Amino acid sequence: MADWQIDLIKVVFIWVWVLLIAVIMTWVERRASAMMQDRLGPNRAGPFGLLQPLADGIKLFTKEDIIPERARKILFILGPPLFAFPVFSAFAVVPFGDKIVIGGKEIILQVSDVSIGFLYVLALSAIAVFGMVIGGWASNSKYSILGGLRATAQLISYEVPMGLALLTIVLLYGTFSLREIVLQQQGTFLGFLPNWGFFKQPLGFLIFLVAAYAEANRVPFDLPECESELVTGYHTEYGSMRLGLYLFGEYVNLVTLAAITVSLYFGGWGLPYVDMSKYLGPVAYGIASFLVFTLKQAFFLFLFVWVRWTVPRFRYDQLMGLGWKALIPLGLINLFVTALLVQLTI
Amino acid sequence: MDYYFLLFAIMAVGAGIFTITVKDALPSALGLLTVFIALAALYLHLHAPLIAIFQVSIYAGAILVLVVFVIMLLITPDEALETAQKNISYRAMGAILGVYLIALLIIGLKGINQLVAQKSLPEGFGKPSQIGDLFFRKYILHFEISSVLLLVALVAAIYLAKKRA
Repeated sequence: MADWQIDLIKVVFIWVWVLLIAVIMTWVERRASAMMQDRLGPNRAGPFGLLQPLADGIKLFTKEDIIPERARKILFILGPPLFAFPVFSAFAVVPFGDKIVIGGKEIILQVSDVSIGFLYVLALSAIAVFGMVIGGWASNSKYSILGGLRATAQLISYEVPMGLALLTIVLLYGTFSLREIVLQQQGTFLGFLPNWGFFKQPLGFLIFLVAAYAEANRVPFDLPECESELVTGYHTEYGSMRLGLYLFGEYVNLVTLAAITVSLYFGGWGLPYVDMSKYLGPVAYGIASFLVFTLKQAFFLFLFVWVRWTVPRFRYDQLMGLGWKALIPLGLINLFVTALLVQLTI
Repeated sequence: MDYYFLLFAIMAVGAGIFTITVKDALPSALGLLTVFIALAALYLHLHAPLIAIFQVSIYAGAILVLVVFVIMLLITPDEALETAQKNISYRAMGAILGVYLIALLIIGLKGINQLVAQKSLPEGFGKPSQIGDLFFRKYILHFEISSVLLLVALVAAIYLAKKRA
């Protein structure tokens, strides 16, 4: 197989895989929330209600597509794709496994190992916010504009602590490439802990996680949607598949964020204490590393759901206060301490 | 003919013209976003991925988001920008800035005949580590001066915020 064929297969595979996980996530969210609230949740369509996302998709596709009379038509149509496409392409730099040898050819399980690494994900998430803003503004409704305003303010505020947390990671590993960061996290730390970023950067991880929840617009940071104040915020006026793109894009965003968290702080595809490549053949090792990565990712995806249905929403001033008065100073302190430690150990 | 360059260069210039001629505020900001993305694509083409990513994440992700924030705060979709565009002092400022930028471009074009296209790139060209190296060795003075500039801006911002409160 030529290189471009392998690349094409990887792109198609990861595209389908990410969309599939996102679809399953919509089901997990509803079932898990039902479980936490002592309800049953959707359990009629297929076994355990697993076909519910399919039914929802058919519903969204066949609904009447309404564009409000006083909306800006072109921008209104442009909003959802502008949100969804950057989000759908962000997974390209995530290493979803180590490597697999097929037909004597070593294939790295990552679409593209670029030198700029996770900066690519940050840049794409920065573009995605324009989708929300444009949708909110073009709807020409007060609720939507307020939702869009909150989305922009929230993004600017929480990108700073996220950047500070990621800077410490760069200091620690000396690279932006996610694959190299994962490779440096194999083995043990202080003799008994897995050599994960989490144990070296516990505070950085906490800051990153909070900022990631804010970037994903999840409860407790879902102020841009905020059903109790803004109906549904920036996509109040949207219906049918346009709304579907917004909602689905958010789940795809979660998948990517969980994958980045695993790669940066939890050793990516590696198992702690066990070097899988010693015991497994080259093909089995590739599949096993992929499975380990997916399992870790699944935990963080479930954590998103868990937090959403247990923590209440912040008030808006509390959200801004947390971002600017708690996370940014903490991030700065963390950065200085890490810089000092790195300088002392080199 | 370099079609990749041509595509994104036309995209950048076209979006730039759209940005300054369109009557509405948010479409204008979107035009600017397109300019930034086209420029980032051109930087990628010049083997400078880090610059391209900073172009997107800082200009589009931080500065333009701030611009859009102000637009959403002050201008509703029913309003047009015409009053601001007809303001004579804005036009005068635009003209002065435009002439200055064109003059800069012409000065920059002077040495273009001596340029030789390099066939192969030096080792590690455009890598983040190389740019960091340049910053902290060759251009350390420029780097420090810009950091002082940012500090001054920060102090000024805090002063203004305190005065209001």
